[in-house]
Amino acid sequence: MPGIVWFVVRRLFATVLVMLALSLAVYLIFYAIPADPAHLSCGKPCTPDRLEQARHFMQLDQSTIQQYLNFLRGIFAGRTFGDGPAAVRCEAPCFGYSFPLGRPVTTLIADRLPVTASIALGAAVLWLLIGVSLGVIAALNRGRLLDRLSVGVALIGVSTPSFLLGLLAILAFGFWLNMVPVNGYVPFTESPVDWAWHLVTPWLVLAVLQAASYIRLTRAQMLEELNLDHITTARAKGAGEARVVVTHGLRGALVPIVTLFGLDLGGLLGGAILTEKVFSMQGLGELLISAVGQLDVAVVVGVTLFSAFLIILANLVVDIVHGALDPRVSHG
Amino acid sequence: MTEELLRLDGVRKYFGLRGVPWQAAQAVRAVDGVSFVVRKGETVGLVGESGSGKSTLARVATRLLDPTAGRVEIGGKDVTRVRGRRLRPVRRRVQMVFQDPQASLNPRQSVGTILSTPFRAQGTRPTRTQLVELLHQVGLSEEHLERYPHEFSGGQRQRIGIARALAVSPDLLICDEPVSALDVSVQAQVLNLLADLRDELGLSYVVVAHDLAVVRQVAGRVAVMYLGTIVEEGPSDQVYNAPAHPYTKALLSAVPVPEPGAVRERIVLTGDVPTPIAPPSGCPFRTRCYRAEDVCATERPVLQPVAGQTEHLAACYFPEPPTSERT
Amino acid sequence: MAEPILEVHDLRVTFATEGGPVPAVDGIDFAVAPGETLAIVGESGSGKSVSSAAVMGLLPSNAEVRGEVLLDGRELVGLEADELRKIRGNDIALVFQDALSALNPYYSVGWQVAEAYRLHHDVSKKVAFRRAVEMLDKVGIPDAARRAKSYPHEFSGGMRQRVVIAMALVNNPRVLIADEPTTALDVTVQAQIMQLLADVQEEFGTALVLISHDLGVVAEVADDVLVMYAGRAAERGTVRDLFFRAAHPYSLGLLGAMPRIDVPPTRRLTTIPGSPPSPGSISAGCPFQPRCAYTERVGERCVTERPELTPRPGEGDHEAACHLGRRPEVVA
Repeated sequence: MPGIVWFVVRRLFATVLVMLALSLAVYLIFYAIPADPAHLSCGKPCTPDRLEQARHFMQLDQSTIQQYLNFLRGIFAGRTFGDGPAAVRCEAPCFGYSFPLGRPVTTLIADRLPVTASIALGAAVLWLLIGVSLGVIAALNRGRLLDRLSVGVALIGVSTPSFLLGLLAILAFGFWLNMVPVNGYVPFTESPVDWAWHLVTPWLVLAVLQAASYIRLTRAQMLEELNLDHITTARAKGAGEARVVVTHGLRGALVPIVTLFGLDLGGLLGGAILTEKVFSMQGLGELLISAVGQLDVAVVVGVTLFSAFLIILANLVVDIVHGALDPRVSHG
Repeated sequence: MTEELLRLDGVRKYFGLRGVPWQAAQAVRAVDGVSFVVRKGETVGLVGESGSGKSTLARVATRLLDPTAGRVEIGGKDVTRVRGRRLRPVRRRVQMVFQDPQASLNPRQSVGTILSTPFRAQGTRPTRTQLVELLHQVGLSEEHLERYPHEFSGGQRQRIGIARALAVSPDLLICDEPVSALDVSVQAQVLNLLADLRDELGLSYVVVAHDLAVVRQVAGRVAVMYLGTIVEEGPSDQVYNAPAHPYTKALLSAVPVPEPGAVRERIVLTGDVPTPIAPPSGCPFRTRCYRAEDVCATERPVLQPVAGQTEHLAACYFPEPPTSERT
Repeated sequence: MAEPILEVHDLRVTFATEGGPVPAVDGIDFAVAPGETLAIVGESGSGKSVSSAAVMGLLPSNAEVRGEVLLDGRELVGLEADELRKIRGNDIALVFQDALSALNPYYSVGWQVAEAYRLHHDVSKKVAFRRAVEMLDKVGIPDAARRAKSYPHEFSGGMRQRVVIAMALVNNPRVLIADEPTTALDVTVQAQIMQLLADVQEEFGTALVLISHDLGVVAEVADDVLVMYAGRAAERGTVRDLFFRAAHPYSLGLLGAMPRIDVPPTRRLTTIPGSPPSPGSISAGCPFQPRCAYTERVGERCVTERPELTPRPGEGDHEAACHLGRRPEVVA
């Protein structure tokens, strides 16, 4: 047991280092672009004087390194832009302030995260169910019709762009069949039913796309597992086929599936850009895209770092879960 | 005294284990102080059960592994610290034959390419005649040169493995479990081949094996390993007929004899071999030994001649008394 | 011999492959009585393992099994899957060669032994686990109550094989088939395991079918021996028949090829030239003929006519499948 504690400590320490390096890299990249965010906040007519004022207020007139250090300090101490009655305060932990939106980046992310999380988690449950069951069915019927069908579905899923499938789904379910709303998001706390009803189509679309890789992975893993000696042992003990397949076969295939699942989910929580755009949902992905359009560098940096953090975190969780799922893995 | 081909002096090989910082680092003591000499013309058997360190010792002796401590001499030269390119002359004298010919032959190379590799590693190019000659030595023929490993049976593959080792005309072959992956009928062919090559080419062997009967068949001298140390060493006849170390005695008594109704005294050892991470104090065998007394836990016994013998050594405080010849 | 508990008559196993049907077992007979041990001896490709899998109904779907397998007079070939399931692990149990791969790495050994019990007894998990601990203790796992919670990789090879044996014996089977049970083990551990099997047989009167290539082990524990070569029986008889009156050149060759610990070595072992044939590559005559030293003396018959098992005159049930009328002698 001390092994796992030490493992997590080591990994968290590594995470901090990676995030530091990453934030520096992101900072250097985004603040090196020639466009000047101050332009957008300078108003019209934008005299050089007013521009300089805006730059000073937004603290863009300092060197990039100084700005980065301000950013780091802001995380712990918060930041204040300008002074006097016009001053803007960004409380700790401050990950930047969006002047075009007039709100701290942390608040923006906190507002948008539930939308993205709703899309991602719901879809994840669906694609896991679809992918794993079709994968198992394909493996058990290797070479037969059901196998070919499942693999076919997987192929279509992998090769279809999400916006195409999304638009088709809106067209079919929303307009022709008029079954579901075509866009918008209702918070879960307001009405769970409406929440789900609005999300059904994006869930299905994302799930079908993602399930593809799970079908293929599950199929391959199951074929391998079912060939192992301990499967024969299970049969020799008198276990029925269902028990052999699920308790003994699927149990062994679980580790790589869970690994992929964790990483996919971690990635998706950082923003399902295309899906959010197609279904007009105000999630993290949508936030990022509009921020890029408005040269809102603070938001771009904030969301990018947040997504990166989620992926690193997902990796850590996956590794810990891996240890829990496979008794042979030791976190030494 | 004939020429020494291989001399190991106090060789140790520890494999480190990564731990947590608040615990002391641990090491697997795979080989824990072994001294050992092979002279020209000899076949020495190295027997032991899994975890005894015999394969690790073979790899240290061929300098495939670096020893943690001790000295490795090949042909009278200290090669303990020799590395990389400068190992070439060492490789020319000592070659290794591996257990699993399936795993040790590159499946994408033809036999011809496999056999040329040792030549090229020495900076020469073999002629076709040389390659065919090698195949003949191991009982294969010219037509096999263009074939690939999967086209051969297990026994033939092991012959290819031997031919590859012979390519550089070594003095000493270290064979790690050369027949344990083979069927009985094929195993005998390979053992006979090793004997023939010894006579024809004047080769010497170290044969590492867990099968005591195989070692008795080929080796003139035998060393018995337990938990990283040699517990008994001597001429095969003496060790097999009158084992002095209790472990050797138990090991020999456990080997079933293909003779129904044969009455033999069997010493069934209890428990498992202790972990090489924390071997017992003193004699490594004392925890399972039927003769152990308090003194065995104090100092590790050193190899010393058995009463009345000169070349038969045992590392034991209470060696078995020499018995009359058993048959 | 007492009334046999397991009888096999004219067992044939053919595998459907892309290259056409491949016969792996070509008509073998054997029987074993309670408390007795039958050894099936043979090299790779002899069909000895396929035979045992066929008896258990454990062959893959591309295998066709014909002949009779009678357990206490009841025909097992062609039995409903569910009926067969009730027999497997309950009346006939299997011990594999490689205990590490025969055990499921994801479950504790206690769980796995308990599962074998629960599959044939309607008891709670708790009761089954208690039974498992009892069984692990019986096969000599020290501190069984605690070790039952450990996973297979945490055991030594010998201890793992004890676990597999505990799993096989937990339902008190009437027949135990052990496929090379000690091949992967060191000799001192092999001695322990063979002793354990002998004790079990004595206590429960289990019939043991021991599949082995190790003639030393066979000489020590077997009552009867069946020597298989290329899917057929080469010789059958009591253990003394085989070791003292070997009638088939192949049996004799095997005995001569085996280095012995109890006699001073001769410089060369007698060998059988060539290697065992792969299944499917056997022609019309005697399968051993290409490697046989006696073919010249017998002549054409060995190439054209397949020898059947024939009783040796005056030697009871001792039979050999060889055209050579008299006993072959050792050729050096």
